[in-house]
Amino acid sequence: MNDAVKRLPRALRMAYIVASVCGVGFFAMSVLLLGVWPGQVLEEQTRKMSPEHPLNLTVSESRGREIYSYEGCAYCHTQQVRYLESDMARFGAPTLAWETRFDYPHLWGTRRIGPDLARESGSHPEDWHFVHLFAPRSVVADSVMPSYSAMFEGSPDRPKQTARDLVAYLETLGRSRELAGPEGEAHARANCNCDKDEMGQMAFHTSELNTNPRKTRRNGAVPVLVAGDGKRGLELYARYCASCHGTKGLGDGPGAAGLHPAPANLAEHKYGLERLSFALTNGIDGTAMPAWRDLNFGDLSALVAAVRSFSVVQQELPADPKTLEAGARVYKANCAQCHGETGAGDGIAVNELRVVPANLQGVRPSLNATLHVLHNGIEGTEMAPWASDGTPNGTGRLSEAEVSAMAVYVRGLYQEGR
Amino acid sequence: MPLVEQKLVYAHGLAAVVMLFVSIAFGIFASIELLLPDLSGGSPWLSWGRLRYDHTQGILFGWLGNAFLAFLYHAVPVLTGRRVTSARLGQWLFGLWNFVIVVPGWLLVLAGFSQPLEWAEFPLIIDAFVVLALLLMAIQFLPPFFARGIEDLYVSSWYIIGGLIFTILAYPMGNFVPELVPGARGAAFSGLWIHDAVGLFVTPLALAIIYFVIPAASRRPIYSHFLSMLGFWLLFFLYPLNGTHHYVFSVIPMSAQIGAITASALLGVDVILVVANLLLSLRGTGWFPRDLPLRFVGTGTVFYLVVSIQGSVQAQMAVNQAVHFSDWVIGHSHLAMLGFATFAAAGGIAHAWQRIPWARYNHRAMVWAYWLLSSGVVIMVINLTIAGMVEARLWQSNAPWLDSVRAARPFWIGRTHSSLLIVAGFIAFLLGLTTGPRGAGLAEGEESVGLETIDEMARRLTYSDAPSPRASRWPGVSS
Repeated sequence: MNDAVKRLPRALRMAYIVASVCGVGFFAMSVLLLGVWPGQVLEEQTRKMSPEHPLNLTVSESRGREIYSYEGCAYCHTQQVRYLESDMARFGAPTLAWETRFDYPHLWGTRRIGPDLARESGSHPEDWHFVHLFAPRSVVADSVMPSYSAMFEGSPDRPKQTARDLVAYLETLGRSRELAGPEGEAHARANCNCDKDEMGQMAFHTSELNTNPRKTRRNGAVPVLVAGDGKRGLELYARYCASCHGTKGLGDGPGAAGLHPAPANLAEHKYGLERLSFALTNGIDGTAMPAWRDLNFGDLSALVAAVRSFSVVQQELPADPKTLEAGARVYKANCAQCHGETGAGDGIAVNELRVVPANLQGVRPSLNATLHVLHNGIEGTEMAPWASDGTPNGTGRLSEAEVSAMAVYVRGLYQEGR
Repeated sequence: MPLVEQKLVYAHGLAAVVMLFVSIAFGIFASIELLLPDLSGGSPWLSWGRLRYDHTQGILFGWLGNAFLAFLYHAVPVLTGRRVTSARLGQWLFGLWNFVIVVPGWLLVLAGFSQPLEWAEFPLIIDAFVVLALLLMAIQFLPPFFARGIEDLYVSSWYIIGGLIFTILAYPMGNFVPELVPGARGAAFSGLWIHDAVGLFVTPLALAIIYFVIPAASRRPIYSHFLSMLGFWLLFFLYPLNGTHHYVFSVIPMSAQIGAITASALLGVDVILVVANLLLSLRGTGWFPRDLPLRFVGTGTVFYLVVSIQGSVQAQMAVNQAVHFSDWVIGHSHLAMLGFATFAAAGGIAHAWQRIPWARYNHRAMVWAYWLLSSGVVIMVINLTIAGMVEARLWQSNAPWLDSVRAARPFWIGRTHSSLLIVAGFIAFLLGLTTGPRGAGLAEGEESVGLETIDEMARRLTYSDAPSPRASRWPGVSS
């Protein structure tokens, strides 16, 4: 017996034993325990929880995925929301196995310099993505993302196919779960066998799949902000807003050129508190104006003060009642469908529109700005030119007199406080 | 005829340092791009992601790969008393490793051909050649060990055998499988390789160097062969089971995550055993031995202890949920690859270099290299670790995301500056290998502890009492 004990440690030093046990045996053990077995569990989960026909990538989206891969995007942007409150609060529902079923190879990543992109779908419009890829700091001040200007023909308005593919791919991140809808969630939940599994349940905790604080919403709770500390507001404005709205609020920041619709000219508009609160909290859906929900109440209030301080729009003299009446008639016939009977931006056609129409109770544009929009429309939105004034743009059906009357009318819809 | 293929030691040693400079250049440029993101002017070839890929692949293959090869050409004959399989094969392997794998790999990555898998960024075509090269390495270095039949071997030999064979098998797991197995399932395999690249390729070879250089340069036997054995077997058992700790709180089954976290904790215990054995073997050589290779591996041993304990801690859920994804991890990987592995590799190259009679060696430059590199690593790692904690704190608050990017900036500036110390250190290291009188390394060895014959050393590095059948002396040294 003593011999055997003595021989054993000697055997552990032999080339053959080392090679076969350490080199091959332990390798096989690790692959089985941490690769094959978890793989089978995940495959089973995918089979049970996945919707029947989840959308795979299109050819363009697949090419975009290639670009995302070789540019190393995954080394700054993870694509995996962890089962942690801190992750879920920022990015939304944790990643389920079935959501990754078409990821060859996976792009989970292990470093987050920029935000996680697992739920990027629906968070930003295409024009924002183009401007952001072309010149990241023109829309996100202090971003450290490289510029991918080589994917464009010199301007964000002229993306090459590579940029189109990449943005198409970004738009798929988190899409399949969103498309699966409440039925999909219910199906996954019923099949997850996670009644007693706290982590498994977390995947379904969040009421919203995508809680990206920048994601725009058409509806959502809004704290009514007050005009706060203007000095702090201007600092924050310079940091967060100036890249698009310009340092003086003229809507001419470096990011503005590629955005459609263009960022608002804050000097030419006067915004009500409620309107500003909504825009800052929920963003303007369909446009590049993101939501700023992750700023605290004090900072948002400071921003309100800063934004209002740019406005040069004056209190108007009471308008001639006849003009008002004419304007109201024209408005009702042509504008109320979208902007609503009372101008609250809640007309019956709203849900059909890509960009929510302006709430005219919450904003008073200057006369110039009003006339400019009525003559030219707003690029990138459904707002068309209305004036038929004989100019090249004058394709609309309203006479100059009607347009003028309406301009006066809509500017009077503004209510301080709204 | 010398047993050691000195030209191959020299060629791989020099190639290692040259490729190290290129890899560092990628890293520094990438770090500057985080400070000046428009520096590259939108040029795709210089975009951050591609440089980042080339930085780590260059360090793994170009620097450490060549350094390990240089060391193996020196150590395998000493450990076994036999030649490596073929010098001709060695020339082919040198060409394959450098001019078919590393250089084309770099260029392909810059041109936009790569895969987004950690420690596996070179494209698939390169991966095929890596597998070929790993097989050739096994053919080159393993037969001398097996030729010893059932004789027992010294601990360095076990690490070499285990590491080379494991890597041949593990490499395809990280490079090919995630291309075939999607999403979360692929990530499970990917996680294995992320850990295996460092744990089962770099660590065993670095430990083989440390276990080799300490007794060879101090002329004292290793403290305990029993601890060597215990440490080795635990390490090879536990290291492969760590992989999933890269994806804690993911959808990968919780039992796999917990298993990996447990293995990570136990690994720290094992490393304490290994390091205790090594440090006890270093007793009497002083904090900063005069022999620089010994000093390098000694400091590498200390880094190994720190980085492993750190790894055990950061795998734990309470820590991981905060610092994962942050610069803390970047600090950790630099402590592993630049602290532990690089110090071992530098020690290994320099030790082999000293024993090439016609190679130049400059002691003063080596001293500079040691101090510059040590201070550079320590500053960089502390800096990044604090950066990670700051980021983690902001991420757990509801501060806007960009606040964490802004907060990291001063630390990133610090990181770029600390890399200058490291570059200076490696310039000194290169001067240490290329200036000074020829044969100065051997003289240096004589002066510090006295140089022993290859036969004497071989005898001490094995357990056999009988003289090795192929006794020969270090050329140019009289006993």
